[in-house]
Amino acid sequence: MPIIEVKNLVKQYKIIEKQDGLLGYFKNLIKPQYKKIIAVNNINFEIKEGELVGYIGENGAGKSTTIKMLTGLLTPTSGKIVVNGLIPNEKRIQNNKNIGAVFGQKTQLWWDLPVIESFRLIKKIFKIPENEYRKNLKRFTEILDLEDLLDKQVKNLSLGQKMRCEIAATFLHNPKIVYLDEPTIGLDVFVKENIRKFIKEINKEKKTTVILTTHDLKDIEDVCDRIILLDRGQIIYDGEKQKFKDIYGKYTLAEIIVSSKNLSVKDKLQSNVFEIIEENEKEMKIKFKHDETTIVKIMNDISEYCVIEDIHMRESELEDILKEIYKGAYKNGANNDSIRKNAIKKI
Amino acid sequence: MKKILDNISLYLSFLKISLKEILIYRLDCIVGIISQLIVQAVSLIFIFIVFQNTENIAGWNFRQILLLYGVTRIAIGISGYCFDGLYDIGPKYMQNGEFDKILLRPVHPLISIIGASREFVSLADFFIGLGITIYMLIELSIPITILLVVKIIFFSVIGALIIGAINTIFSISSFWTYKSNEVIWSFYNIYAFAEYPIDIYNRFIKILITLILPFAFVAYYPTMDYLGLNNYMLYLSPFIAIILWIIAVKLWNIALNKYRSTGT
Ligand SMILES: Nc1ncnc2c1ncn2[C@@H]1O[C@H](COP(=O)(O)OP(=O)(O)OP(=O)(O)O)[C@@H](O)[C@H]1O
Ligand SMILES: [Mg+2]
Repeated sequence: MPIIEVKNLVKQYKIIEKQDGLLGYFKNLIKPQYKKIIAVNNINFEIKEGELVGYIGENGAGKSTTIKMLTGLLTPTSGKIVVNGLIPNEKRIQNNKNIGAVFGQKTQLWWDLPVIESFRLIKKIFKIPENEYRKNLKRFTEILDLEDLLDKQVKNLSLGQKMRCEIAATFLHNPKIVYLDEPTIGLDVFVKENIRKFIKEINKEKKTTVILTTHDLKDIEDVCDRIILLDRGQIIYDGEKQKFKDIYGKYTLAEIIVSSKNLSVKDKLQSNVFEIIEENEKEMKIKFKHDETTIVKIMNDISEYCVIEDIHMRESELEDILKEIYKGAYKNGANNDSIRKNAIKKI
Repeated sequence: MKKILDNISLYLSFLKISLKEILIYRLDCIVGIISQLIVQAVSLIFIFIVFQNTENIAGWNFRQILLLYGVTRIAIGISGYCFDGLYDIGPKYMQNGEFDKILLRPVHPLISIIGASREFVSLADFFIGLGITIYMLIELSIPITILLVVKIIFFSVIGALIIGAINTIFSISSFWTYKSNEVIWSFYNIYAFAEYPIDIYNRFIKILITLILPFAFVAYYPTMDYLGLNNYMLYLSPFIAIILWIIAVKLWNIALNKYRSTGT
């Protein structure tokens, strides 16, 4: 049985449409004009216990809105959510016992007090048994390196230190499900890595289900097994991360530094085995697949038009794939819906 | 029953934490207490001036009025400290999304909110009230029996609970205004009404402060009882407190549900 079940979920926000001028002001007062925004548009998914799910999409895609509905903070306009056998919107307080949540940079810790005091109070709020609390505190302190932070006031912590404490606080009561809405925003690489490691280890130890939204795709690359990709309120991909990459095609990106180049190579050179993504006076970005051609052949073709100075290559990452999906939609203005759908079909 | 005890114990933990937080700002505390003392002194001077020109107000003499004043201050002192968290829901929670955080705890958000009370200086009110009450009981030669002490404690707590429930109801507007609750502040001034015998008011105000905003139960009826003036209204006050809290929590929950569906 899935631990999270979402069926035909819709969230529509109603906002008052501001009208200009004094007349508009009075019109608003008397008969406000409402505008509807469909933030989440009929989505369906199921998540099994212990899954690590990356919930991704562009700004405004509806990620936070979904998470807020899953936690019971927000009432769905329609549709069904069942989390661990409960409907979060109706049994919010009961549901809260099973879940943990982090929202961006907001903290659940008490600002003026030492971190450890907040932990103790959380222990009391969630009725965490003494031995469990001790065990978790010890383990978390170890992985997240909290030793020196516990006695410091929260307001004196740096963002990264605060977030490490925040993550520990979120997992302290052994929640079955944890929602992390952009937990790594604004953090440096080391803290990010630390937090990713923590999530992975706890997931392995306790089978904690984690839903993670982020704009740093390294988070997803590192932590998640499954991706749900949201686009303007609708799910356009839901499945294994590896498959997402495989099907779209593992390709190689080559950055070629060139000189003596004075015309657009792209216009001259039509090839169906490699693609020039970007080019300027000094540099060309090329995308190709290893089983279709080789870098030597490509260099051979290009060297007719310029002198090759240097070359860097790397395998495509999640970020490259998503960039293409998003770009495909933006470039082509009017048709962007169908184009985006085609881009996805290719996956 | 266990759930209620759990909630109360959690509330006390929250309160303890807020006390620790406020004690960090020691200077603020001292300044707060001094300003509170000044406010009290002004009220007392006002009562003195009134009694320069008259022997009694609505049949109550100077000492009796002071007793009423003391009893009122005890209740207001308790509620001022215990329910202070209700004043600034708007700026503290709604404006910056902090509200989400307390909605994610496995307790009713009201427990977290009133537990975040920090109006430590209200305790000054409480002690002044207590001092005046004891002094006036002695002056009026009312024997301080154990029964009287129990009564004073009990009805002061009930009085504080009544004020707390009324504040809870008024705090609902914060869900949408995002501002600190001016309504509650102005009510704080209206509590001053409770410091005078309700007999001095005309019929309309009397009904208002007994039935609609049951301030008379906060101090007037209890004081009558302490003065040996029998009144049966007093024994209604625990029920009024309970009913008011039931209404307050129900209304609050309705507002919360509305709030959660708009997402703002
Ligand atoms: N309280 C609200 N009232 C009205 N509209 C809202 C509200 N919250 C979000 N929206 C709108 O709903 C849409 C989805 O917002 P949401 O915050 O869920 O996006 P998101 O995927 O989390 O984006 P981001 O990556 O920027 O955090 C947006 O168009 C946003 O403007
Ligand atoms: Mg978001």
